Amino acid sequence: MSQLYEGKKGEKCLFMGNQAIARGALEAGVSVAAGYPGTPSSEIIENLAEVSKETNLYVEWSTNEKIAAEVAAAASFAGLRSMCVMKQNGVNVASDFLLHLVLSGTRGGMVLVPCDDPGALSSINEGEARHFAKLLEIPLLEPGDFQEAKDMMKWAFELSEEIRNLVMFRSVTRLSHASGSVELGEIPQTDPKAQFNYNGFILDPMEGPIVSAPVAYKHGLQQDKLKKAQELFEVSPFNTYVGPENPEILLITSSGATLYSREAIQLCNAKDKVGLLKLGTTFPLPAKLIEKHLKTTDKILVVEEVLPFMEENLKVLAQELAPRVGQKTFFGKRSGNIPITGELNPDLVATALAGILGQTYAPQNPEYTTKATQQAFFNAPTRDLTFCPGCPHRASFWSIHNVLAEDNREGFVCGDIGCYSMAFLPSGFSTLKTLHAMGSGTGVASGFGKLGQFGLNQPVVSVCGDSTFFHSGMPALVNAIHHKSDITMVILDNSGTGMTGFQSHPGLAVDAQGNEAPALDIPTICRAFGATVEICDPFYPFKTQQIFHRLLEMPGVKVLIMRQICALSPEKKRKKAFEMSVDKEICLGENCGCNKLCTRVFRCPGLRWDDETKVATIDEVICAGCGMCAAICPSGAITRKEAA
Amino acid sequence: MGTATLLKDPYNLIITGVGGQGNVLASRVLGNLLADKGFSITIGETFGASQRGGSVMSHMRISAEASWSPQIPQGKADMIVALEPVEALRVLHTYGHPGIKIISNTRSIYPVGVISGDQKYPSMDELKKTIEELSEKTWFIDATSAAMELGHPIFGNIMMVGALAKTGVLPIDRDSFEKVILRTMGKEKTPVNLKAFDMGAEMIN
Amino acid sequence: MKLFAQTQLLEDVQGKGLCVGCGACVDLCPYFTTYRGKTAMLFPCDRETGRCFAYCPKAEVDYDAVYQFRTGRPFQGTPIGPHIEVFKARAGEKQTECSFQCGGTVTALISCALDNKIINGAVLTGSDERMPKPMLVRTADQAQQCAGSKYSASPTLAVMNKEAKRGVRKMGIVATPCQATAIAQMKMNPTDKEDFEDPVSLVIGLFCTWALDARKLEALLEEKGIQGTIIKADVPPPPAEVFVVETDQGVTEIPLSEVRKIIPEGCSICPDMTSELADISVGQVEGETGYNTLIVRTEKGAELVKMARSQGYLVTENLDGDKVHNLAQASGNKKKRALAQAQEKGLLNTPDDAGRAAMRMSQDALNKIQP
Ligand SMILES: Cc1cc2nc3c(=O)[nH]c(=O)nc-3n(C[C@H](O)[C@H](O)[C@H](O)COP(=O)(O)OP(=O)(O)OC[C@H]3O[C@@H](n4cnc5c(N)ncnc54)[C@H](O)[C@@H]3O)c2cc1C
Ligand SMILES: Cc1ncc(C[n+]2csc(CCOP(=O)(O)OP(=O)(O)O)c2C)c(N)n1
Ligand code: SF4
Ligand code: SF4
Ligand code: SF4
Ligand code: SF4
Repeated sequence: MSQLYEGKKGEKCLFMGNQAIARGALEAGVSVAAGYPGTPSSEIIENLAEVSKETNLYVEWSTNEKIAAEVAAAASFAGLRSMCVMKQNGVNVASDFLLHLVLSGTRGGMVLVPCDDPGALSSINEGEARHFAKLLEIPLLEPGDFQEAKDMMKWAFELSEEIRNLVMFRSVTRLSHASGSVELGEIPQTDPKAQFNYNGFILDPMEGPIVSAPVAYKHGLQQDKLKKAQELFEVSPFNTYVGPENPEILLITSSGATLYSREAIQLCNAKDKVGLLKLGTTFPLPAKLIEKHLKTTDKILVVEEVLPFMEENLKVLAQELAPRVGQKTFFGKRSGNIPITGELNPDLVATALAGILGQTYAPQNPEYTTKATQQAFFNAPTRDLTFCPGCPHRASFWSIHNVLAEDNREGFVCGDIGCYSMAFLPSGFSTLKTLHAMGSGTGVASGFGKLGQFGLNQPVVSVCGDSTFFHSGMPALVNAIHHKSDITMVILDNSGTGMTGFQSHPGLAVDAQGNEAPALDIPTICRAFGATVEICDPFYPFKTQQIFHRLLEMPGVKVLIMRQICALSPEKKRKKAFEMSVDKEICLGENCGCNKLCTRVFRCPGLRWDDETKVATIDEVICAGCGMCAAICPSGAITRKEAA
Repeated sequence: MGTATLLKDPYNLIITGVGGQGNVLASRVLGNLLADKGFSITIGETFGASQRGGSVMSHMRISAEASWSPQIPQGKADMIVALEPVEALRVLHTYGHPGIKIISNTRSIYPVGVISGDQKYPSMDELKKTIEELSEKTWFIDATSAAMELGHPIFGNIMMVGALAKTGVLPIDRDSFEKVILRTMGKEKTPVNLKAFDMGAEMIN
Repeated sequence: MKLFAQTQLLEDVQGKGLCVGCGACVDLCPYFTTYRGKTAMLFPCDRETGRCFAYCPKAEVDYDAVYQFRTGRPFQGTPIGPHIEVFKARAGEKQTECSFQCGGTVTALISCALDNKIINGAVLTGSDERMPKPMLVRTADQAQQCAGSKYSASPTLAVMNKEAKRGVRKMGIVATPCQATAIAQMKMNPTDKEDFEDPVSLVIGLFCTWALDARKLEALLEEKGIQGTIIKADVPPPPAEVFVVETDQGVTEIPLSEVRKIIPEGCSICPDMTSELADISVGQVEGETGYNTLIVRTEKGAELVKMARSQGYLVTENLDGDKVHNLAQASGNKKKRALAQAQEKGLLNTPDDAGRAAMRMSQDALNKIQP
């Protein structure tokens, strides 16, 4: 089906932003793509992996983002075009390598593609990769629509080769996960050869060894590269202006905010008052271009998402240019016109614009709004996130919660990143008490586990997903073992990277391209590290709790692997293991002895409470047939029958 | 391209539902179908952690010439296709106006807060009444039950597409639907999806 | 009896540190469990009335009502409670010799009841390493495995609840006084449960001045370097002032002053030394090892003792008058101390506007105990 690869030049396709980016990379002749899953970036690697069967392309889900960057860099060193893809905070993980890479420089074009998530629609942070472009002193490109997502991607590779350094191409959720029309270009039929040259003079960028030293020299060189990029930016077709010659307000924007700004100008009927300068090259700013536009007006509105990155850079530049362009009034985040957190939308931009223009923006009829708000308040119950029906994590946290409560020593769980992060919510019985970055659960636990000498005698538990284990859980476990920390690490092994869409990882026997791969065995690794290791199936809560209790009583580092496949895994999808039913006669309902354990406490979406008959029922549309609720019902009212 | 014209340009469609209902697929199918007819389509999707019980919403902007932002401005939706009735109400709150049209599935999916008893789910009568009051025209269909007859509740999404086609608010015809399904899902899955499309259409009168 | 549920139980009992871990609230539902001697709440329950609160011996015990129900008269406040006879007793020749605590009277009576099918099973307290381990036994042989006092408070009633839920009826139970109180409350079906059936047909109560916190006792033994398997623990009568622990590696004495520190708060307000709400109560005999004091309280108890004696399970003798006198004095003193404590903490006959009480009893009875 893949239009992504087979689509011909000139053809128009409805592409998701991430597909457009992937197509752009293909049109650029990319040879190697590596990434670590993370919303909203994952479909880029997924799409390329799919295409890799049809062309000579190497695609991998690396163990973590730093390794993805390293794998891509190797290809660049060998003269190939390569890219590495990650979500916003993935760049934090890769950043140490990147800091050195940008000093050493690259050979084949190499593009770093972070996808930011303004509004944290699927993240637990609102971090931004843009700031890394400044920190790393590399050019930053930001597409403003779907067509650009493809076209600029191709250009990014050319730019990287022009300056022989890494280029950042940044997307955001509303581009990556939105779809629009894209006119395709040619995919070159070349056959690039890889060769790593290192015998040349130490300072020879193309023939010598690739190192970041001597730092002072290389750093200077790097800044020259950045200047060169800036010159190219002055004439880039991705910086465009639409509007009157001397607008009342100059709206400067980039990335996803471009689409909102365009619509906001329309919503305000302000086409002849507002000029829209859309920048595709946002760091370093093209100074001459900016100077030209600053001269046309006195009022500037900067529209971008989250922190005032562009706004601050523009202000510094405007100050330098002030003698020639005069003092400007800036509107944006620092003036309070544009929110400094969360994502934007056409309404927010229109409101800001209208405010500056002295207009009012009233999108909805107030009477209707009042009525709709009231109705929604009373009749539209909120939909909080919860584990899927049949999710093994719900079962795992049931046991973890209950064992810690029974143990009664104020034990606690340090959380980590994955679907199981939701266990800080009631649907995971509010079990997690700390939650930060990938791998941090066990790292933080390792620290807690050393506080015995200061009187801490609460049992310390960490949880870690299987993908997270390889990503960054392993060093944390090593640390705990080496320092004889007293912790129990629970590895929630659901055979895949659940949260981000079931990508493969080193623990599985298949790789991103669908090839067979050696699967690394988590229990063997943990045992080799020196931990006491047990394995259980969370769908058998009694056994699971017995083992967990025993480990909790033991000193040192213990690993309990709770192993059960994700309810959404391709293997399980749509197949019920059990047909479930509730016997109305037996169900205790609200009575003393149960009081709705299954719906009130266990809360699997597959269950419903029937307020009329006062019994629990199974919602057969939703129930995944895992059978777990039968194991917890105190009266045996819920029964399971092997599904045919 | 084509002779089809829009009732309004851009025509703003919202498909809403709950994770796992096949919302995104429905919007892709519709988007491709309308793109095939030469329209410029933008689809904005909110599906971050959607499988985990959250609301999912696709905003579709259909236009003869320009491409629009992936988020519809407040009060500017023309049509809502709701795979779950409470989601229709939720969308009305932000994007509705007195002239809006709605097709809604009548099968509820309880949010976890309702399952646990912390929140209340309105009665279907109450819900229908509310939705009717907030819109110009409504169609309520029991797509999920029909889909169960077809073998799986997931077909509810395609039934809603069929129902949408029948309302005539957008230039959606059976042949173009078949073409898109054939291209995106392959031969094997086409007949059952066509059946779902037809069943959906039959439920609109 | 005032009815409440989990929220109040947590506030009044666990919250005030009065939980002794008897297990009365455990395993009635999924919300209370017990682990290593401690009662734990797993999830909040929002019911307004429930058996957890109703059965708990530290929450709103209406002494007049319970005594009325079990003995036909309101609470009188007499030192050793309503009874028919008092004996000195020990196991007879029919009872196999094993490591009894004193005279083996308890084990002998249970064996007799089991052998004669007066009960279908008995809830007794064995041990798992150093933790008390309640269990349902079905035979006299199994009963012997549970002989000997575990000085830690034991969640014995959790097993009663669990087995009752599984449909076991006609159970015998060996209970401490607080447990006997809880059982008496259970028998009253305080929540008017529609399908209620009393699962217990025999209660043998133990004398008890205090029990120890199981986890703290384990830690204390560890701290004292006591190794090996515990064979027996004992508190010899005054003036010894020691707690004696015998293991397969020797005997250690721990001063009572140290042991008293690990008595649960709840015991300090317990007015009952002799399990007044049991069918039969059994304790030590002052200054005589190998014998028990036996108090027969109900007709059912009297019949069992008669049968045990006639079938050779039990041998009884007269108990010296001054020993009865001393027992009554000790028992009366416990009442006085406990009620004074409870009063001080505002837990006795608490007026409605000041919250809930642990116990309620008539002023008459109080006057008798504290003239
Ligand atoms: C915590 C505790 C405190 C006591 N304090 C006193 C006291 O102050 N004065 C006094 O005269 N007697 C006291 N006793 C009673 C005494 O120790 C003997 O249990 C009693 O005399 C019966 O002796 P026996 O030889 O008949 O017991 P055995 O035939 O050896 O049988 C003992 C029975 O007690 C049960 N049992 C053991 N430990 C517990 C426990 N923790 N909770 C509930 N049941 C248990 C066992 O199931 C067994 O059936 C106490 C007992 C306990 C358990
Ligand atoms: C540094 C970083 N990279 C990637 C992500 C995106 N991410 C969030 S959850 C997750 C999956 C973790 O998978 P696993 O540990 O197996 O847990 P599961 O979701 O399967 O329960 C990933 C990759 C992230 N949050 N942080
Ligand atoms: S847990 Fe069992 S008894 Fe309790 S409400 Fe659910 S089905 Fe009924
Ligand atoms: S079997 Fe029970 S726990 Fe499993 S998905 Fe169905 S309702 Fe949920
Ligand atoms: S005293 Fe007994 S019944 Fe009361 S809360 Fe504690 S364990 Fe439960
Ligand atoms: S009220 Fe009943 S169901 Fe609730 S905690 Fe108490 S015993 Fe359990």
